[in-house]
Amino acid sequence: MPKKPSLLTFLDISALILIPVALVLIVFFTPVEAVMGSVQKVFYFHVSAAWAGMLSFILGAVAGAGYLTSRRISWDWLSAAAIEVGLVFAVIAILSGMIWARPIWNTWWVWDPRLTTTTIMALIYLAYFILRAGLTTPEARARLGGVYAILAVMTVPLTFFSIRLFRTIHPVVIATGGDGSAFNMTPRMLTALFVSLFVFSILLAALVWHRFRLAQWQNDLPQEVQ
Amino acid sequence: MATETESLSTRIEIRGLVKRYHHQPVLNQITLTLNDGDFCILVGDNGAGKTTLLRILAGLVQPTQGEIAVGGSSLAVNPNLRRIIGYVGHQPMLYQDLTAQENLRHYARLYQIQDTESAVTHSMAGLGLTLQQDQPVRTFSRGMQQRLSLARALLHNPSILLFDEPYTGLDQDAAIFLDHTLRGLHTPGRTILLAAHRPQRLLTMASHIAWLRNGCISQHILVKNLHEAPQLSRYLQEEA
Amino acid sequence: MKPIRCYLGVIWQILRKDIQVEWRGRQGLPVMLVFALMIVFLFNFALQLSPDLQASLTAGLLWVSLAFASTLGINRSISLERETNALDGLLLAPVDRSAIFFGKTLGNFCFTSLVGLVLLPIFSLFYQQNLLRLALILVMLLGLGAYTSLGTLLSALSIQTRTRDVLLPVLLYPLALPILIAAVEASRGVLSGRALGEMSSWMYLLLAGVILFNAAGLIFYETILEE
Repeated sequence: MPKKPSLLTFLDISALILIPVALVLIVFFTPVEAVMGSVQKVFYFHVSAAWAGMLSFILGAVAGAGYLTSRRISWDWLSAAAIEVGLVFAVIAILSGMIWARPIWNTWWVWDPRLTTTTIMALIYLAYFILRAGLTTPEARARLGGVYAILAVMTVPLTFFSIRLFRTIHPVVIATGGDGSAFNMTPRMLTALFVSLFVFSILLAALVWHRFRLAQWQNDLPQEVQ
Repeated sequence: MATETESLSTRIEIRGLVKRYHHQPVLNQITLTLNDGDFCILVGDNGAGKTTLLRILAGLVQPTQGEIAVGGSSLAVNPNLRRIIGYVGHQPMLYQDLTAQENLRHYARLYQIQDTESAVTHSMAGLGLTLQQDQPVRTFSRGMQQRLSLARALLHNPSILLFDEPYTGLDQDAAIFLDHTLRGLHTPGRTILLAAHRPQRLLTMASHIAWLRNGCISQHILVKNLHEAPQLSRYLQEEA
Repeated sequence: MKPIRCYLGVIWQILRKDIQVEWRGRQGLPVMLVFALMIVFLFNFALQLSPDLQASLTAGLLWVSLAFASTLGINRSISLERETNALDGLLLAPVDRSAIFFGKTLGNFCFTSLVGLVLLPIFSLFYQQNLLRLALILVMLLGLGAYTSLGTLLSALSIQTRTRDVLLPVLLYPLALPILIAAVEASRGVLSGRALGEMSSWMYLLLAGVILFNAAGLIFYETILEE
């Protein structure tokens, strides 16, 4: 078992410290939004999770391309790790979006473009794991997984624009107007948002790295145990 | 097109070939050279990697590492080299709903053969299939499908022929017919690599024999020098 | 022989062969058509649709039927190659393997478009609307162009798995969603009497899909099929 890199330890500790800091900022430092109330504060984690998920999927595609060009299996470990963690963040984004929606629109689900796109993306990347599960050799999983990861990330802009365009033509009627999530952001809110984004990025890096190391160790196990 | 490829040597050079599945090497540093006009039998246990090696040479599988050069040109880089390679595998690669003639015409066109009709007619006649040319392949016996598969592989007059256990599932008559055909195919300027499980009948035809063992070529000798390789002779007798 | 002519020749031959096999067996097209009609009937009863169906629902129903029928056809197309390993036969051809992609895509596109062209008068009959409009046919062809190229690409992935055909819908539908949304919206607009020019955003999206997925096929098909 290779020794845990000190940079990873640094990332872990940073994340452990920064998450409570971000929470404190969000709960105490930011103002309570006029129309939605306290529940609006879910927004900081919701957007950060969606951002982290997207970043992770892009990393997954880049790592997939890395495998396809170099054929070194460690690229595939990174790709699968990034997509797995990205999927977790996407689910967090979906759930936090639903939590945000409930008190405001009295429904657990809104067909809002961002929420819909994130859910479709979650389905696309869930299919990624179903694809891998159906393949028999690690070489096939790496090769086809890599292609799929690149293809999936390429379609995300298409998906986003089509749903956004759809929503402008078929708007959901919401009390707060527009797509319902618009509100003016004060400087404090912006600060809190940037801190959240930063914290989630650190968390993302740490989690992907841990998952990558897990794949490395798994590979070192004797064939029968894997 | 025939003129383009006639001038190409058919010397096959395999250097350091490795193929891994599940991170384990099925083929491990294979080094083998086949010269123009060689008829080489490839022997080895089931699962030794004979099929994998043939499929890599045919361009159907990519090696994990290593190089294959045909006539000095790298196989990986030059898809045009497939023009001079003919491959007969386990499966006949034929469309069951189409007739024998239609299948061959399809392949003739894939290879962009100049005179499609005469190439198809000639190929079928050479393998005694003219009478069945308008029958759907679905109705063919194993032996007939094998023959048609061979006709398919020979359509573009390849100078390199790869066979993967062609005698499997053939009855006595079909096997004799195949013997006869192989003898006819062994001409100068044509290189043949044939994987065989029971190579006894081929020892009179082939020029070389190669033994695939533990993922590499443990022996590659002239058939006439077989008596100098007691281990291999013993292996061949056990296989009979 | 010039490589381009060789490449195009292979595409043309694969298309020809697919049409020939279909003509001989006649198992693909009739099944696709019957399936599409069954979807229409199913939705009709499940959603209690009435004959004076609004244009928006007609467009949606048309594209759901087309998507399902197309997936069926694409699955069949690649399964045919799997039987007796004919796909290996195509891989032996001395051309870049993306030619196989374009040949199969063209075949899938032709068959699905044929089903679509048959569905248009049938829909006109069922829902008392005129679907035989040039603008709608154009939208249909563009949408199917994007859908079948993506489907053909993904079918090369799914055929290599243990679950085979079953996996194709799982891979295809989420990725094809923007194409289906754009196709439905553009069709809906045309059926409501709007000019094609007003649908330009949707048409551009469909065009983007056609370009993106065919480019992906060109780049990745060989990698997908190699072992």
